[in-house]
Amino acid sequence: MSKDELNIKDNTSLFKEERYVQQRENKKQFEAPCSEQETAEALAYSKSAEYMEKNFNRQNVVINPHKACQPLGSVMAALGFEKTLPFVHGSQGCNAYFRSHLSRHFKEPTPSVSTSMTEDAAVFGGMNNLIDGLENSVALYKPEMVAICTTCMAEVIGDDLNSFIGNARIKGVISEEYPVAYCNTPSFVGSHITGYDAMIKGILSYLYTRSGIESKPGSGADSGEKLNVLLGFEPYTGNFAELRKILAAFDTKYTILGDHSGNYDSPATGEYEYYYGGTKLEDVPQAANALGTLSLQKYTLKKTQEYISGTWNQQISALSTPLGIKGTDQLLEAISELTGLPVPASLTEERGRVVDALMDSHPYLHGKRVALVGDPDLLIGLIGFCLETGMEPVHIVCSNGDVDYNEVKFKDEAEALLATSPYGSEATVHVGKDLWHMRSLLLNDTVDLAIGSSHLKFAAKDADVPLIRVGFPIFDRHHMHRYPIIGYQGTLNLLSLIVNTILQQLDDNHSGFNFELVR
Amino acid sequence: MKHSILSEGDEEPMDPVRKDEFDSEACGSIAPKAKPCPRPKPGEAAGGCSFDGAQITLLPIMDAAHLVHGPIACAGNSWESRGTLSSGPCLSQYGFATDLTDSDIIFGGEKKLKESIDYIAERFAPPAIFVYSTCVTALIGEDMDAVCKTAAERIGIPVIPVNSPGFVGSKNLGNRLAGDALLQYVIGTGEPEPLTPLGVNLIGEYNIAGEMWDIEKLMNSAGITVTSRITGDARYKEITWAHRAKVNMVVCSRALLGLAKEMESRYGIPYFEGSFYGAKETTYSLRQMAFLMNDREMERRVDRLTEREEARLSQDLRPYRKLLKGKRAVLYTGGVKSWSVISALKELGVQVVGVGTNKSTEDDVRRIADRVGDDTEYIPEGGASRIIKTVRERKADIMIAGGRNMYVAMKEQIPFIDINQERHKAYAGYEGLLRLAKELTYSLANPIWKLAASPAPWDKEAHPYDR
Ligand code: SF4
Repeated sequence: MSKDELNIKDNTSLFKEERYVQQRENKKQFEAPCSEQETAEALAYSKSAEYMEKNFNRQNVVINPHKACQPLGSVMAALGFEKTLPFVHGSQGCNAYFRSHLSRHFKEPTPSVSTSMTEDAAVFGGMNNLIDGLENSVALYKPEMVAICTTCMAEVIGDDLNSFIGNARIKGVISEEYPVAYCNTPSFVGSHITGYDAMIKGILSYLYTRSGIESKPGSGADSGEKLNVLLGFEPYTGNFAELRKILAAFDTKYTILGDHSGNYDSPATGEYEYYYGGTKLEDVPQAANALGTLSLQKYTLKKTQEYISGTWNQQISALSTPLGIKGTDQLLEAISELTGLPVPASLTEERGRVVDALMDSHPYLHGKRVALVGDPDLLIGLIGFCLETGMEPVHIVCSNGDVDYNEVKFKDEAEALLATSPYGSEATVHVGKDLWHMRSLLLNDTVDLAIGSSHLKFAAKDADVPLIRVGFPIFDRHHMHRYPIIGYQGTLNLLSLIVNTILQQLDDNHSGFNFELVR
Repeated sequence: MKHSILSEGDEEPMDPVRKDEFDSEACGSIAPKAKPCPRPKPGEAAGGCSFDGAQITLLPIMDAAHLVHGPIACAGNSWESRGTLSSGPCLSQYGFATDLTDSDIIFGGEKKLKESIDYIAERFAPPAIFVYSTCVTALIGEDMDAVCKTAAERIGIPVIPVNSPGFVGSKNLGNRLAGDALLQYVIGTGEPEPLTPLGVNLIGEYNIAGEMWDIEKLMNSAGITVTSRITGDARYKEITWAHRAKVNMVVCSRALLGLAKEMESRYGIPYFEGSFYGAKETTYSLRQMAFLMNDREMERRVDRLTEREEARLSQDLRPYRKLLKGKRAVLYTGGVKSWSVISALKELGVQVVGVGTNKSTEDDVRRIADRVGDDTEYIPEGGASRIIKTVRERKADIMIAGGRNMYVAMKEQIPFIDINQERHKAYAGYEGLLRLAKELTYSLANPIWKLAASPAPWDKEAHPYDR
């Protein structure tokens, strides 16, 4: 069959046809919408400083939030461990949301189950649901470990996971030895990053405690020459690969604690399995003997870091997402320090190549005003990257930025970082604000580029600013998460993404005489 | 039916899609048996909650504001993720939430709710605000009804509480509860403008991928007007006068049948259940409308229109039917769509060898049974592996399902069509069936399946599943 015959129109082109346009026009007459003038006035008002002030004084309603809830992060964390089934204790809807949310971002299936609590559970507690749920899910999905987190419902009625799991064992639904890790993740506290942290800590401490091993950091016993690595709430499978590449170049042994890249980047072999890759369960207790721990999202992994440095008594290098040249330099120095190994020449060479690329592109980046939205650690990385390329961060919005690490608040660190460069002098950091605030900022004080998740596309469109999709979630573009954005290679990817967007814009908006071949 | 596309010369004869006794039953004379929605089973990857269901039903009222009263979970994870299109206003796309924190849980969130409502009313001036309860607000005992009531009096626009917290049950139940909210607070509160010709309410059509526009175009060309869209691409006002319609059509949604039933007893509006998937169903639906409007002239117009459309369609479909004939499909979708899509597929010559009945009611299952053969497998519960198993065992060529199962199909290298809310193609009506035929052909013919099914050249082992 010829391609022409197969031309199926999707809703974009189909409903542009005259007959539909007419139909919509008719509908407008009938519904008597605001006049064009009124619409224009409302738009103008929303651009005014007066409205912006009002908007920033808004206390109660959140409009277009840029965060998800704790258990969503926990589900992602659980998928970082071998044959582990995420198990959400609460009413069923949340789990369906988590599954579609994660699947829409990664374009991969998300195995995760729920205890489907209903009204009687609300009254009598969710113990029976949890016990039945354990029995069913272990039989159906045959996991080697179950990782339970709670939703707000279970938290409000105060279900006690530990004793419920104990009762499930007493009832013989699962054996005494069967591993069940858990954590409490009420949605009314924190955000997806808090929940990620809670589950990682929950799994590490659970598997360690039950192993009976006593930590002797760097002891040489079993995995004593290894390094522990934590990436945090990591929406890029490519970042795992990039980090592995860097560690391989160092020729160090390592354990990634929580590696969900397998689950979210599995090959199409013709047969779907529920579980792919992930940290081996037996490696977790051994990780207590490692040389030290490298953490790449220090605000996200706060509790986990405390646990590792406390209970495991280990040296920790806690960074934010290593973006840009300086960010990557810090990463390599941290690895070098923890392992005692020198930075390999191959990486130094790679660094040189990426610096060269940045120089090639710098004329197009210099002075570009940028708006940023994201999680705290990503934002620290992005700010650093912008400053070293001569781009000027102007508006920075972090809905879940009220976090600290070692008593340093995210906002303070971001501001201190911005203060190190003249390119940061115009920036303001807004913590706990949403995308409707960002819209006001974009309309009032315009920028050249917006960087953030797909959710930012509405505000960016209103302000007519191109959006570079970085972070989580990215629903409306394909394969972004397969390319790393960390390390030198990631820096190069980010650079091409940004500079080529700018160049495309130049071509699109050319004024007749500057549609040029060479840029 | 003179020009049925099913009775073309070289095609195999098919069973009539609708049996006679069903016809008489569907005209609205028999009230559906109320049956509780099935409870989800703990430990399974279940679908959405009642909150989700309620929101889905009401979000297509595009000019209203939709405020979620609860912690960030419910709103933060769900806003702006459905493909229900608007021809104008888009306030419904905004993610409004009270984002309750732990202190709100302890001290109550009613003040926050009240102020949120005020802010939205002042800034966005919507014709109405829908306020959704969630698990948490229901558990801590927020008196949402009272807050909404006083707010409505204060700000002078309707503020409608939607009491459908997630834990009360399934998505289906949530659809119903949303219907209840419409009955209680919206329908019957307004009057149509004097010169508006009255016609049909479309209940349970959500304008996914713009299908509503195709349906409306078709109805209009037979001279039938839409009185209220409940709720695809709706405006709040038009729903307030839904009680003035002459006929209710329940489009593919068992969940809102209660609404139609109640409108029949309250306002005497006859209803029928119908679908726009497939030519036969479309023709049937249009005829039912004209019949229930009790307008001879309109009936004649419908006859002329459907004959013409079916004739043209059967011409257009010819090359696709050749290609699709004998192909086998597994269909896994929400309750009602299961049977209506089967009809459409049958008309294309595609055999449904497996069908999900997870969210189907008894009536749905009966309708499925009317439309499929004995060797069709019913897939009673979810779980990707269960669906895949059917595809393998029944040697299906294609899987037709929703987004959450799509990526599993890809892993298994099974051609796939998205039939649920995230799709971008409109399949309703005669033209829609043609689009579906093309899409099926497309999906089956893509070179990627051959590539995927053949091993790497250095890998001699044959592929385990030879399609
Ligand atoms: S189950 Fe409850 S908490 Fe979860 S999304 Fe539904 S309403 Fe919200």
